[in-house]
Amino acid sequence: MRAAAAVTPRTLVGGPSLTKASLVLGGGLLLLLVAGTVALALGSVGVGLGDTAAILGHRLLGVPAQVTWSAPAEQIIMEVRLPRVLTAMLVGGGLSVAGATFQAVLRNPLADPYIIGTASGASLGAIAALMLPVLLPGLAVGAASSWLGVGTVQVLAFGGGLGAVLLVSAIARAARGGAVTLLLTGYAVSSVLAAGVALLMYLSGNHLGAIFAWLMGSLDGAGWRNLGLAIPLVIASLLLLLARWRRLNVLLLGEAQASHLGVDPHRERLLLTGLASLATSAVVAISGTIGFVGLVVPHLLRLAMGPDHRLLLPASLLFGAALLALADLGARLAGGIPVGIITALIGAPFFIGLLVRSRRVVVGNS
Amino acid sequence: MALARVRSLFIPLLAITLLLAACGQTQSTTFSSVGAGLGSSATPSPEPWVSYPLTLTDDAGRTIILAKKPARIVSLAPSNTEIVCTVGACGNLTGVTDFDDYPASVKNVAHVVVQAKVDAEKVLAAQPDLVLAAGNGLTPEAAIKQLTDLGLRVMILYPKDLAGVYHDVTLVGEALGMPDRAQSTVASMQARVKAVTDVVAAAAHPRTFYEVSVFGGTIYTAGNDSFLSSLISLAGGDPVTGDAQSGAIQLEDLIAADPELILLGDASYDLTLATRAKALTAVRARSGWGQISAVRAGKVIPFTDDVVTTRPGPRIVDGLEALARAIHPELFGS
Repeated sequence: MRAAAAVTPRTLVGGPSLTKASLVLGGGLLLLLVAGTVALALGSVGVGLGDTAAILGHRLLGVPAQVTWSAPAEQIIMEVRLPRVLTAMLVGGGLSVAGATFQAVLRNPLADPYIIGTASGASLGAIAALMLPVLLPGLAVGAASSWLGVGTVQVLAFGGGLGAVLLVSAIARAARGGAVTLLLTGYAVSSVLAAGVALLMYLSGNHLGAIFAWLMGSLDGAGWRNLGLAIPLVIASLLLLLARWRRLNVLLLGEAQASHLGVDPHRERLLLTGLASLATSAVVAISGTIGFVGLVVPHLLRLAMGPDHRLLLPASLLFGAALLALADLGARLAGGIPVGIITALIGAPFFIGLLVRSRRVVVGNS
Repeated sequence: MALARVRSLFIPLLAITLLLAACGQTQSTTFSSVGAGLGSSATPSPEPWVSYPLTLTDDAGRTIILAKKPARIVSLAPSNTEIVCTVGACGNLTGVTDFDDYPASVKNVAHVVVQAKVDAEKVLAAQPDLVLAAGNGLTPEAAIKQLTDLGLRVMILYPKDLAGVYHDVTLVGEALGMPDRAQSTVASMQARVKAVTDVVAAAAHPRTFYEVSVFGGTIYTAGNDSFLSSLISLAGGDPVTGDAQSGAIQLEDLIAADPELILLGDASYDLTLATRAKALTAVRARSGWGQISAVRAGKVIPFTDDVVTTRPGPRIVDGLEALARAIHPELFGS
């Protein structure tokens, strides 16, 4: 109630003040730059700050430079670390914006990017891909690994995530229910898919390690190819979401008010859900299910600056990207543990601390 | 900084290697090939000239083209490391896993796999001419794809049985330009296997249950048609097997199979199974196990050679011999 009061007709149309906006977005941009620099400079093999900067300047900006670094150092920076840091940013930013969208659309503070079946659908797809050699023993191992070249795991994870969401949306639309129907349908469909995941895990034998790594979320194996698969989908859906900030604000007011203001809540909810799910599926396909970022980042930003989506969405993008780049750096330096463990281990207590201090959750819930 | 250290080490190392190579067979004598049973009869000889570029097919059916003799090798599995060393190229390893423990000299090689995680940065820093991965998901497929995308030559080794190990020793021997060493290793392995199978041929094959682990109430054993089950057969046992994929077996199926001998492969890791007396007490106390023939006859044996029995490298024959001694103590003494 208190939260909903924060969105007034003035903020709906007028937007945030210029100073607040520049402060938040400027801060986010600065944090992203710092996070990117640190994440590029550090890793399991020491390259040195000077060499790192020289390699990046030389290769990205064409700065003429005496090649003082070794060939492996250049390959480590350009082909391992840079795509990995960019992947972390894309994943963190994508999950945060999707999380902010779901929390507003479903008007539920517990909503995260996976809430309506993306995670279980994508997991089922990815695990099925990992286990193709087992499921279809007729195929030679060689054939399976050559499929890996075009990213079977990514393609099936993306298809599974999006398929689950489309199924949930179709059922919810047929039921003509509100946000709660969508939530419950998502939960039910997720349960069915999770059972499929559990069954495949039980049958997985030697593949269990790979499956666990995927389920816990990891940016291991990030490369330009996977990044290239995800970038267009994520960027396109994020831009479309950012453009709909006004409708998200209107949805926060509740269905009746939204209708009065000329927004069809059913249609708008499905459209926004679809866009956020598209971004989530594309991201999950290259990173596995990384938890907590999409839940925490939007909440933290709302606590700091209120629920206006004109500012919340771009801020979620910047801060989510920076935080996951830093979390992944932590994961790499800790010997390559899954980054999902880091995000929960550090994110959760931090989140609790802020909740205790502010004594409220701002979601715009009615 | 670490990279610079690796590089500064590399140049003198390379110089030493070249020097040793020039002196003759020094390098190949640093590691006496197969484990315990093999005498020092294998006299190292200069390998015949292998011509590069060399085109080979790995166990995943992939084609690998080697432009020159690989001077720097990264191994992503302990079994691969042992194969590299047995063909006499131990000194060429520039990266191994944190699990590697044999031969002892590999403990000083840089770890590029830590906690089963392949660290692509460290693999690149090791500057390998050839990376030896393990198949069937043991080296994560995502890691194989990443290393291949980085332009490294990755060869996948996945032996499914003894013949597969012979094949892989031969394959690695060819790849590294040491076909003769590989050939003599395979010949001595085959001779030792024949010695075992000859002895057990006439003996009765007791129904043998090999316990890999019992975890959360689920019992894991040798999978149907697995490498381990084939070893038990060769060692003169009739293996009681579990699911072909997971190796899991239901307690009811185990009781119905009624093994005459239980080998506890998990005894190395579980103190309550460490001695015969303790193991028998512990296993008898398990619900439903008391009426199994092996338990009633007291034939429950801690089997502490689990590593060599389950690592598909040249020492797999040590594992086979240990199994044969455990299954047929009357034939092999011990």
